[in-house]
Amino acid sequence: MASFEEWKTQLEQWWNQALRYIHQIPQDQLYAALAVLIFTFLFLILVRLLKRTKSNTIVLSGLGGSGKTVLFYQLRDGSSHQGTVTSMEPNEGTFVLHSEKAKNGKPKPVHVVDVPGHSRLRPKLDEFLPQAAGIVFVVDALEFLPNCRAASEYLYEVLTKASVVKKKIPVLIVCNKTDKVTAHTKEFIRKQMEKEIDKLRASRTAVSEADIANEFTLGVPGDAFSFTQCHNKVTVAEASGLTGEISQVEQFIREHVRP
Amino acid sequence: MLEQLLIFTRGGLILWTCKELGNALKGSPIDTLIRSCLLEERSGAASYNYDAPGAAYTLKWTFHNELGLVFVAVYQRILHLLYVDELLSMVKREFSAIYDPKRTIYNDFDETFRQLRKEAEARAEELKKTKPVGKPLTNNKKQGQVQKSDGGSKKKSDGVSASDGGEGDGTKGRRLENLSNGNHVDTEETKANGLFNGKENTSSNIGAFDVNKLQKLRSKGGKKIDTVANKGPKAEPKKTITKKNRVWDNSPPEAKLDFTDPVGENGDNVVEVVAADQGESMMDKEEDFSSESETEEEEEEVGKDSKPDAKKGWFSSMFQSIAGKANLDRSDLEPALKALKDRLMNKNVAEVIAEKLCESVAASLEGKKLASFTRISSTVQAAMEEALVRILTPRRSIDILRDVHAAKEQRKPYVVVFVGVNGVGKSTNLAKVAYWLLQHKLSVMMAACDTFRSGAVEQLRTHARRLQIPIFEKGYEKDPAVVAKEAIQEATRNGSDVVLVDTAGRMQDNEPLMRALSKLIYLNNPDLVLFVGEALVGNDAVDQLSKFNQKLADLSTSPNPRLIDGILLTKFDTIDDKVGAALSMVYISGSPVMFVGCGQSYTDLKKLNVKSIVKTLLK
Repeated sequence: MASFEEWKTQLEQWWNQALRYIHQIPQDQLYAALAVLIFTFLFLILVRLLKRTKSNTIVLSGLGGSGKTVLFYQLRDGSSHQGTVTSMEPNEGTFVLHSEKAKNGKPKPVHVVDVPGHSRLRPKLDEFLPQAAGIVFVVDALEFLPNCRAASEYLYEVLTKASVVKKKIPVLIVCNKTDKVTAHTKEFIRKQMEKEIDKLRASRTAVSEADIANEFTLGVPGDAFSFTQCHNKVTVAEASGLTGEISQVEQFIREHVRP
Repeated sequence: MLEQLLIFTRGGLILWTCKELGNALKGSPIDTLIRSCLLEERSGAASYNYDAPGAAYTLKWTFHNELGLVFVAVYQRILHLLYVDELLSMVKREFSAIYDPKRTIYNDFDETFRQLRKEAEARAEELKKTKPVGKPLTNNKKQGQVQKSDGGSKKKSDGVSASDGGEGDGTKGRRLENLSNGNHVDTEETKANGLFNGKENTSSNIGAFDVNKLQKLRSKGGKKIDTVANKGPKAEPKKTITKKNRVWDNSPPEAKLDFTDPVGENGDNVVEVVAADQGESMMDKEEDFSSESETEEEEEEVGKDSKPDAKKGWFSSMFQSIAGKANLDRSDLEPALKALKDRLMNKNVAEVIAEKLCESVAASLEGKKLASFTRISSTVQAAMEEALVRILTPRRSIDILRDVHAAKEQRKPYVVVFVGVNGVGKSTNLAKVAYWLLQHKLSVMMAACDTFRSGAVEQLRTHARRLQIPIFEKGYEKDPAVVAKEAIQEATRNGSDVVLVDTAGRMQDNEPLMRALSKLIYLNNPDLVLFVGEALVGNDAVDQLSKFNQKLADLSTSPNPRLIDGILLTKFDTIDDKVGAALSMVYISGSPVMFVGCGQSYTDLKKLNVKSIVKTLLK
């Protein structure tokens, strides 16, 4: 207890000393210092706000094995290196697109996130969606039919996410692997997916209302579903990650992340 | 021979493969490994076996968590390559030295790898020469989990007697080795030899008393199995007590519970039955998920932590938490993991599973850098939480209604088979599912395929009448598989959407009954095989599910047998916060919990709330 008392008196002494010092400093200087402090604070907050409003995040999503990681590295380095395996963690990077590196001027870097497609890792998608400026949904055009239902289910989930609907985040459906001869055309894939989503809509909304967590419904009830009915813009494009034919994806990114 | 060695990032980019080996792998073992092993929190295991048409590979892996790298080696299963573990760890060491996150091409690693491989192979060669001592040991330690112990003890006793001669051979072999590939890795070679000598000595020592140890272990194991087997029947008598007149929460008061008297022998001509309507099934109710105060949790946490840290002193641990620790190693994680394991086991998670989970979490954290202002325990906890969410998140869609509608389009009834051990509530929950389906305007039919227990058909008939749905029955002493088949045909005729097949309860060890079940499933090819398990079960959950799955696979006559597709967890209202059974069952079977039964009335059927389960488990 005695030592505690000692500490207390010591502290009081220091406090008094500090007060005296402050009184010695002229008032003007004190105010100036305060003003500088407040200004920096405001500046920092402003920077934060500005950064948040101009999102430059592009999210790559889609089922496992559809080629998201290859697309990611094509965008970044312009090559798929030595191939990829199933991702266990998201790939993230802020970079200037490879195709624009040669250009003059200073293009704005894009923040690209490649979210693993494995169903156990899907919760990760929710972390990135709120800040997304655009979503690229990759579909395997080669092995489309066996995966059609799963892919449509996933796309349905993405399209009905609250953050996507509210912010009207544009979605690009990329039919990957079109370099192969047996790959399906993008028109075929679009139609199949629309059909499948139409069925999903029936089973998830008309029959069970409170069953599913998402409260948003897609399209116009009573009409056959088509992507044009979505509030956000949904477009379909073709690409080939392996050969580097990704101009349509790059175009999409540039539309939504202004250079 | 080694088939392939890959180095890739956790993000999925292959950084380096051995081009020399260059054999094209059949199938996609790496992707399968990641999907079905590493992402399922089974990375604590020693190796993984991959089967593809025309190929059988064994895969081994190691992580470098700080850099986020994965090293995988693939080799033919028939060759028990002993040097793979060593080679992997050497490759890991060498590669992490030259790794740079910005670089994606590592052609210069080829040379290093060639040397490492030669070294490892040479060492393995020596091991083979002194085989009696060395081989069974490594075998037992590292691969024991996979290759069902190949009579280790016998070999070992041999080994001890032969060890003297073996050592002599070994030195000879070493000399030869030195001569043959001497020039370029001279120094390293000798170093390795020195190391190896030491190892050999100790290993022969261990070998001497290992036989006893093994026997001890074996007897222990035997005991364990016994206790597990005993536990099963013990749990049984409990539930007879609950069968009392129960006041149902929201049932109409005039409902008479006793339907037996008016029914008589052939009770189809009953006067009138109150169609059961007890409001919306809980499956459809949004659950309000209260986020409890996290701070409480934290405080408890601190209390638990301070114990192991107390030795180190308050200041150093404080400093560590501020500065962030360089790299986590096993000994740092140990206390936190042990606390976590105990907590999981307190929540009724089976011991084996708690153990495996902790191991896999440890594997994912080892070597990672601890961020500043965090404690080890909170890092471990976060990693565990992530792992749990990942496990409990269903891999397949659990939207049954969607599947039912898909089947409806094909003009086929959707068939669900309920299987499980005795007295877990198959029929009761079948009725609940029927009620839920009815609410979604689907026509449901029941099939009474429990032709074994007396009263089972009558029980189901009572439910059917209350719900006013058709029931297909053929009395007792009939082959359930045939009854189910006829029921499905009947349903196809009268256009029912869903057929719910009730089966007799059976213990997982009862082979004749399991064979009958396997036949029923094979013959009818149902759309969904639902395992009904009670949430009260502890360690036995592992046994039940793994045996059910195994028996279904083994006893089936078809080449690709059906396994359990989903789980219905019953008696969830009786367990308070001991929700571990859910985790155990999902982990073992890999299939999701589709329904949770949580009460006595028809409405008491819920979906599993993954978040709240994880929260409860870690509380």
